[in-house]
Amino acid sequence: MTGPGGSLHLRSLCKRYGSYPAVDSVDLQIERGEFLTLLGPSGSGKTTLLMMIAGFQDITSGDILLDGTSIANTPAEKRNFGMVFQGYALFPHMTVKDNIAYPLSVRKRPKAEIAARVAEMLDLVRLTPFAKRFPKELSGGQQQRVALARALCFAPPVLLLDEPLGALDKKLRIEVQAQLKDIHQRVGTTFVYVTHDQEEALSMSDRIVIMQNGRIEQVGTPSDLYQQPKTAFAASFLGKSNFLRRDGAVFALRPEKIDLAPAGAGQGANKVSGAVQSVTYFGAVLKYQVAVPGMDPIEVDVDAWRGGAALPEGARVDLTWSETAAVRLTDQTL
Amino acid sequence: MHDKQFMRETLLQGAQAFQAGKMGRRSFLALCGMAGFASTSVLAGRAEAAASEIVMWNWGGQSEECHQSAIGVPFTKATGVPLKFDTSGPLQGKIKDMVDSGHVTADVCDADLFDAVALGKTGHLEPIDYSVVDKTKTVDGYALEFGISIILYGYAFMYDTQAYPNGAPTGWADFFDTAKFPGTRSLYKWANGSLEAALMADGVEKDKLYPLDIDRAIKKISAIKADSIYWGSGSEAHDMIVNGEVSMGMVWQNRGRSIETDTNGRFKLVMNQALAMPGAYIVPKGNPGGAAAQTFIATAQSVQSQLDLFTCLGMTPTNPEAIAKMAEGDQPYSITSAANMPLIALNDPTWWGENTDAAVNAFLAAIS
Amino acid sequence: MRLPIQSGWLLVLPFLLLVGGLFLGPILNILWLSVTDPTPGLGNYAQLVTSDTLGRILWTTIRVCVICTVFSVLFGYSIAYAMVHAAGPTQSRMLSLLLVSFWISVLVRTFSWLMLLGRNGVVNSGLEALGIISQPIPFMRNELGVLIGMIHYMVPYAVLPILASMQSIDGRVVQASRSLGATGAQTLWRVYLPLTRAGVVAASLLVFIINLGFYVIPAVLGGGKVLMVAEYISVQVLVTLQWGTAAMLAALLLFGVLTLLFIMSRFMKLSTVFGGART
Ligand SMILES: Nc1ncnc2c1ncn2[C@@H]1O[C@H](COP(=O)(O)OP(=O)(O)OP(=O)(O)O)[C@@H](O)[C@H]1O
Ligand SMILES: [Mg+2]
Repeated sequence: MTGPGGSLHLRSLCKRYGSYPAVDSVDLQIERGEFLTLLGPSGSGKTTLLMMIAGFQDITSGDILLDGTSIANTPAEKRNFGMVFQGYALFPHMTVKDNIAYPLSVRKRPKAEIAARVAEMLDLVRLTPFAKRFPKELSGGQQQRVALARALCFAPPVLLLDEPLGALDKKLRIEVQAQLKDIHQRVGTTFVYVTHDQEEALSMSDRIVIMQNGRIEQVGTPSDLYQQPKTAFAASFLGKSNFLRRDGAVFALRPEKIDLAPAGAGQGANKVSGAVQSVTYFGAVLKYQVAVPGMDPIEVDVDAWRGGAALPEGARVDLTWSETAAVRLTDQTL
Repeated sequence: MHDKQFMRETLLQGAQAFQAGKMGRRSFLALCGMAGFASTSVLAGRAEAAASEIVMWNWGGQSEECHQSAIGVPFTKATGVPLKFDTSGPLQGKIKDMVDSGHVTADVCDADLFDAVALGKTGHLEPIDYSVVDKTKTVDGYALEFGISIILYGYAFMYDTQAYPNGAPTGWADFFDTAKFPGTRSLYKWANGSLEAALMADGVEKDKLYPLDIDRAIKKISAIKADSIYWGSGSEAHDMIVNGEVSMGMVWQNRGRSIETDTNGRFKLVMNQALAMPGAYIVPKGNPGGAAAQTFIATAQSVQSQLDLFTCLGMTPTNPEAIAKMAEGDQPYSITSAANMPLIALNDPTWWGENTDAAVNAFLAAIS
Repeated sequence: MRLPIQSGWLLVLPFLLLVGGLFLGPILNILWLSVTDPTPGLGNYAQLVTSDTLGRILWTTIRVCVICTVFSVLFGYSIAYAMVHAAGPTQSRMLSLLLVSFWISVLVRTFSWLMLLGRNGVVNSGLEALGIISQPIPFMRNELGVLIGMIHYMVPYAVLPILASMQSIDGRVVQASRSLGATGAQTLWRVYLPLTRAGVVAASLLVFIINLGFYVIPAVLGGGKVLMVAEYISVQVLVTLQWGTAAMLAALLLFGVLTLLFIMSRFMKLSTVFGGART
């Protein structure tokens, strides 16, 4: 239903406020039609990077290419990128319909075409009955969908979204995530999506960029990043990890990849013994905290349906894991 | 400040109503209680102020100092009563309002003699007590029932000597002749003096001006409207001349001298066909100082006070004795001096007192 | 049992009465005068039809006030726009300059204008010295002078409500408009202006209403030829003692302003115009 997405290439992109690097030498290739998520803690430079792509933030150095052509000097309004802002930034004095029609009417498209396209977009985000309402008469989730429809209405090659679900409650967020993902697949636009919610990033993205202090920490598909984190930061920011020191290196070990057995029952090369410090019931899993002499306490997740009754505090246990479960990190120390 | 005054006014009205029997004693006391005033002090309010001071209502500025030194000092010396000032300008409307409100705070107004006619007729003034004030110490015809002229000012015009190097204008006919004397003119915007000037320019004899032919004057004034601007205060008139906005400008004659000296004679005052205006002292009805106001007016007639006022303000004395005692160099600037007398016209306060509204509104209609 | 009036009102009742007395009293007095002085009847109001002078004065007043309002709001809008887009320190410096200008008395302003733009003022003498003009340009002592003086006086009044409405705009809305492909002019016209409309309306009303009462500037800079209602009223009160005419004109102004507010209220909630709660 829309034109094909565009590919973006960021080359050693930098943004400094004074001497403070908000975005620091970012190199990134974003593929046509990809759903790419920028994930990172608050202040890591996600918005700044997105605003540079949008054209609202000057570039200190580096370059941005759209389908191989530099757009570093193209003003925002000429880049033709759709944008969904943190807080949506709907026009409060226009109805839903007029909000969505705006990008077409400023391009002076024929009335009939605008009407048809708006109807199509309203249908896409399932807001047709709300066309005549004003933004303040809509719920948060509905407003979010208006913002999305407005940004997609003119078939931009790239859609930039800055924490579009941040203001929604957890249940609604999960619902809208699914809709967003669905819309992404239907329109084929390249999505660059900012969030600091790791579950959101994992469930929606083709690839995730983990950012910290303005730098890219690691890029990869959700499972790459989860299975093969390169740094302690990546390992702990995306999911949980235990860190082990062995042979002068640091390894990350996911809690669910550890087998827990009563003392003496554990088998395998990678084995440590300890005592249960605490156990917490989470419905699907039991989370054990195990004290091992000479190490930090180790967290272990056990599927609740598998293990029967929980082991009591103080019980002696053996912990084992397969050779591939522990991932060697680039960090030398913690 | 304002609401206190409002309260006092309300109370005074209440007091009057109470005394007239229109308001019950109880409600009057309640009113006083509400305002935190003792009822006796409200009722006695007027008498309390009586002997303590005389308040002159004038236009402030230099004239405050001059009246204090020329009249206030000898008056206080003789009577022990100090002279105070209200400098908000005693326009007819304000005097009327003050008297109507029943809360009179001024004793003597530095006003015009035509105000005495207009406000005397409507009962807003105390009559002048000619057993205290001397009728002979003023110009003939300027001692009226409700006011007496103490000083004279006047309307004359000045011209820019550099604008007219070959032949200076000599009278109002030249002033209104913009073909022969090109340039901008300035006139007083509340009609006074301007109408007389226009009639003299149109050939009316200076002693046959009254009753003024308003239509004829307006016609003459309208004829040079495109070349005229109009002033509302003495300082504005002054600025228009010295800033070169006009090449001929009407001024209050007493200011002409200082303009001449300040500009080393570049701008010259023409006394021919000047119009002498009787400045008058009038007493608002029910003034707080009572009879002391009449004594004050009598003091102002003394030769020394009159000469001091001239020195200080440039206003011409009305007391003939004072005119006679003026220094030689001052004579040309004294509008009624022997040399000027044949040249000038005298304002008729009675005509103005009765026709101000018609004259001013006709004039405003013409210039706006 | 429910009280017919909330008891809270009883607490403020004395003040309401006082305010009512202080405001309504004089107003009723004026209305009363306008139909009783000098003789009972509608004679004063009839003058509006019969007197050319009154018609002309009213027309001058409305014309000058409208022109002044348009330009004050236009300049005010530009200044406010510059202010919200200036960096923090510059913005506060601009605001202080703006507030300082409130302190300059009308008299000082009028005389400064005469010094600057008068017949022999700095501008005219400068232009003459440069040989650009041979005759001084008549900036002052006419309607142009009045307009210059009044607009200069009113611009700060126009800036404040507009500034307030601009400051309440979410900057992302403007970015959104640009990201959707709107040019600067389109953004200004279709997003910025509508969102600041309340400020513009408030500024226009404020400026227009204050203008109606202008007195000193027209009197001085108009050279006596630009006679506006306020000055005319004052002459009728103070000099010619035609209080009935004055009261009639005052009542007319009052009803004019009220009508204006009423018409405005048909189009938008007045509370938004005057900075009340935004809903
Ligand atoms: N205008 C500015 N001037 C100076 N520093 C700024 C400015 N804007 C942002 N920064 C800094 O740049 C860094 C990155 O900010 P940015 O808004 O990109 O973070 P973010 O990753 O979007 O955070 P969040 O998740 O809280 O939205 C922060 O440390 C911030 O303080
Ligand atoms: Mg952000």
